[in-house]
Amino acid sequence: MFNIAIQAENLTKRYSLQRQRTFKEFLPALFGGQDTHVKFKALSHLDFILEKGESLGILGKNGSGKSTLLKIIAGVTKPSDGRITVNGRVAPLIELGAGFHPELTGRENVYLNGSILGIKHKEMEMLYPEIVKFAELEEFMDQPIKHYSSGMYMRLAFAVAVAETPDILLVDEILAVGDQKYQKKCLTRMTEFKKNGSTMIMVSHNPEQVKKYCNKGLVLHQGKQLFFGEIEKATAVYEEMMDRAS
Amino acid sequence: MKKVRKVVANIKLFLDYRELLWNLANREITQRYKQSVLGYAWVILNPLFQLIVMSFVFDIVLRIPSLGVPFILFLSAALLPWNLFTQSLVSSSNVLVSNSNLITKIYFPREILVYSTIIAKMVDFFFSCLVLVFFLFIFKIPVTVYYLWLPVIFVVQLFFMTGISLVVSALNLFYRDIQYLLNLVLLLWMYITPIMYPIEIIPEKYRFIMSLNPMAVIVNAYRQVLLSGKNPNLYSLGVAALVSFIVFSFGFILFKKLEGEFADYV
Repeated sequence: MFNIAIQAENLTKRYSLQRQRTFKEFLPALFGGQDTHVKFKALSHLDFILEKGESLGILGKNGSGKSTLLKIIAGVTKPSDGRITVNGRVAPLIELGAGFHPELTGRENVYLNGSILGIKHKEMEMLYPEIVKFAELEEFMDQPIKHYSSGMYMRLAFAVAVAETPDILLVDEILAVGDQKYQKKCLTRMTEFKKNGSTMIMVSHNPEQVKKYCNKGLVLHQGKQLFFGEIEKATAVYEEMMDRAS
Repeated sequence: MKKVRKVVANIKLFLDYRELLWNLANREITQRYKQSVLGYAWVILNPLFQLIVMSFVFDIVLRIPSLGVPFILFLSAALLPWNLFTQSLVSSSNVLVSNSNLITKIYFPREILVYSTIIAKMVDFFFSCLVLVFFLFIFKIPVTVYYLWLPVIFVVQLFFMTGISLVVSALNLFYRDIQYLLNLVLLLWMYITPIMYPIEIIPEKYRFIMSLNPMAVIVNAYRQVLLSGKNPNLYSLGVAALVSFIVFSFGFILFKKLEGEFADYV
């Protein structure tokens, strides 16, 4: 029981999209008896258990609910039904640099972003040199990051996100961080985490990539769980589904 | 018992994220004046010009009485706390929307965003109070033991302000009309609060209306303590404190109820 990293039980997420954005549109609709909400099921009845140290690849087409699932695991949004249990600190590599502010310097942003991710100031002081080194931005830390190139920006964001070994690592698509050489460095870091016992969840369209890094697979189609289990079978199911679609 | 545990859990959560709170407040303060020449001086210049112009209009043109103290002093004792109130509300109404990138990507207790913007406005407020201190000094108003009431009144204001800010910030996420409505409400609210005039010029039989308005009680209490050198009206202040606490609790509960849906709507 103590080995469970993530457990989803009957996990369902419905979005109710509001058609009207302002009172002016909303009030007449409300009294006129029109629908004010459109229900939309992003995920329905997912059931899976992921143990600590395992790595899960989530496969699915666009709009199959992959990102929604990541968001629920990250705690950004709540499930409408069912339950999700997440044990441990989650490092979301979803959209890197979400908390960065262009007017602040690299150093200020590192500390700010660290505290958003729940890293204490004291720990950050210890991690800081390592972050700068990993981002390869030694000379630029005291400049406002609006002067950074987009590659530098991503490198810094990635370095902060992976500064501490997380219990659970969420990776959306594959990281387009910097050039090939730097990408390799990022992937090496992620493999290190795996060795240290982190649980990894990766979202992708690309079965080959998922096969390389994951041992479990989850296939989603229009929010429904088509398959959960060994990665080999999962990619087979996914490819078959894609073949049928085309 | 369950409720007590819930309150304790929320306080603990708040303490866990206090570093984020400071960092966000700091970000707001440092970024704001980064590309301006006078920088943080605007925090003082703004209310100063506002006070000068309003004093001219209400003192020299309209001849509003000011309880025997110079009008500009009389005005600043009320206007500066009122500015804190309006600025906190206006920036809170926007704080969730403008941080949508954080809300949709990373989990942390969302009320931290509201608190941080209020802290940033509080820092502005304390700097702007230098203007008030300056006036107190040049008009030779004696410092009295009643000044000890100031932190008490401030805490009452803080609870009231934060409660409304939580409501406004959450609702504005769902309906952007709230921010426009807020501007209107604040403008009208300013007129029914004794800022530009003393509460004493309101006819006795209408004055009870003011005791229903916590901001009127708060602003008047600041004035009594600072300028008249006496205790605030303890009965009104007690009622205002109670109302503030209820407003805060209501705001917090509502905010927490809606919090789970922020990321879906923003």
